[in-house]
Amino acid sequence: MEHTSFGDQRNATFSFAEEDHTLANALRFSLNQDPQVIFCGYSIPHPTKAQVNVRVQTTDKEARVILKDACQGLMQMCQHIRGTFDKVVNDFRTKNPSGNHPSQDMDSD
Amino acid sequence: MEAGASYQRFPKVKVRELKDDYLKFELRDTDASVANALRRVMIAEVPTIAIDLVEIEVNSSVLNDEFIAHRLGLIPLTSERAMSMRFSRDCDACDGDGQCEFCSVEFHLRAKCMTDQTLDVTSKDLISSDHTVVPVDFSDALGGDDSSEQKGITIVKLRRGQELRLRAIARKGIGKDHAKWSPAATVTFMYEPEIHINEDLMETLSLEQRQSWVESSPTKVFEMDPNTEQVVVIDPEAYTYDDEVIKKAEAMGKPGLVEIYAKEDSFIFTVESTGAIKSSQLVVNAIEVLKQKLDAVRLSEDTVEADDQFGELGAHMRGG
Repeated sequence: MEHTSFGDQRNATFSFAEEDHTLANALRFSLNQDPQVIFCGYSIPHPTKAQVNVRVQTTDKEARVILKDACQGLMQMCQHIRGTFDKVVNDFRTKNPSGNHPSQDMDSD
Repeated sequence: MEAGASYQRFPKVKVRELKDDYLKFELRDTDASVANALRRVMIAEVPTIAIDLVEIEVNSSVLNDEFIAHRLGLIPLTSERAMSMRFSRDCDACDGDGQCEFCSVEFHLRAKCMTDQTLDVTSKDLISSDHTVVPVDFSDALGGDDSSEQKGITIVKLRRGQELRLRAIARKGIGKDHAKWSPAATVTFMYEPEIHINEDLMETLSLEQRQSWVESSPTKVFEMDPNTEQVVVIDPEAYTYDDEVIKKAEAMGKPGLVEIYAKEDSFIFTVESTGAIKSSQLVVNAIEVLKQKLDAVRLSEDTVEADDQFGELGAHMRGG
C-alpha cells in the first residue's frame, strides 16, 4: 500500500496493493461524505492485478490527511457496529436461550 | 477529527434470528458501500482452516489421489482458532512445510475395508492433532435421529481389500485464495422495501380485481383481509423488486395503485455459515478484518510516499 503525490498536496492518487472494491468503495463513499472533498473516485487498473487507485482532491487540506480522517471515520463506525452487534447478540441469546441450540429447536417442533 | 463527527453516522443493528449456522439481522443508518464491504469480507476474507496439503501413503480406492485431496480440502473444519493463527507463508517458526503449531494442524486417516460390505470413509475418520480443529459435526443441524449412526461427510467408498492411508496438513487461508477457505455458505443483504398502497385508488377496484392484483405478485407480499375485504401488506420483505404488481396496476388502468421504495440506508442481512465459524462470530470477524484493512491503509500512509515504486503511475500522472 503506497501513496503517490507530487506538487500540490491537495490532489493525490493513492495506490493500494492487495485491495479491491471491498475497501475502495467504502472509502470512496466515506470520502465523498466529507464536505472538504471536491472529488473522490477509485479505479482498478487491471482486473488481474490486485491493486486499486483512489483519487482524492480536496478544498484546502492535504489529501492524505483527509484520507486518513476517512479511514478513522470508517474505523469508528466498524467499532460501533461491532459494539452494537455484540450487545444485540447477547441480548438475543438471553431472551431466546434455545436459539443457539438447533437440536432443542427440533425437539420443541 | 472535528470535521469527521458532523457527517459520520452510527449504524443500528437488530438481530432477527440466530442459530449457530444461520443469522438474520438488520443494519440501519449506513450505506450500501459499507454493507457490501461487510458482505464481501465475510465471503472472501475471513480466515478459516482447511486441508491444504495431502501426502498419500496408500490409495487403492477407485478415486485418484488428487480427487481425494481436493475432497479433503473442501471439508469444513472448526476454525475458531483461525483469527489468531498465522498464515503459513508468514510463519517464521517453521520452514513452511506446515508442521508447526502456529500455522498448521496435522490430520491422519487410515481406513481399510475388511468385509464384503462397502466401507464409507467419512470426515469422522480424520484424526486431528488438535482437538480445537476438527471436521464440522452436522448431526445437530440436520436434526437426524439420535438412534441412527452419526455420519460425517463421505470422502470415498471402499470395497473389500481397498485401503486409504494419508497424512494431511490443514492451514489457515481466506476465500479469496480458494473457496474452500470461505466460512460463508451464503451472505446476502437486501434493501428494506417500503410499500404504500393508495387506499383511495384501491377503493375503486372490485373484489375480483383486488384479488387478481394480490395474486399478480409472485411472492406473498399482499393479502386480502377476508373480513374487511381490504388489501393489506403482510410481508414487505417477501417483495423481490420484481415490479409485477406495479405492471399489473398499470395494466388494470390504475397506475400509482402502489408505490414501492427501497430504503437506501436499511439492510437486511442473511448469513449462512458452513459451520467452520459460528454465524455471529463470522460477522464479528468480518468487522475485525475490515478494521485491519483500514489500519493498514492508515499506517502505510505514514511511512511511505514512494513515487519510484509506482513509476508507471507516477509517469502517467506527470504526463497527463
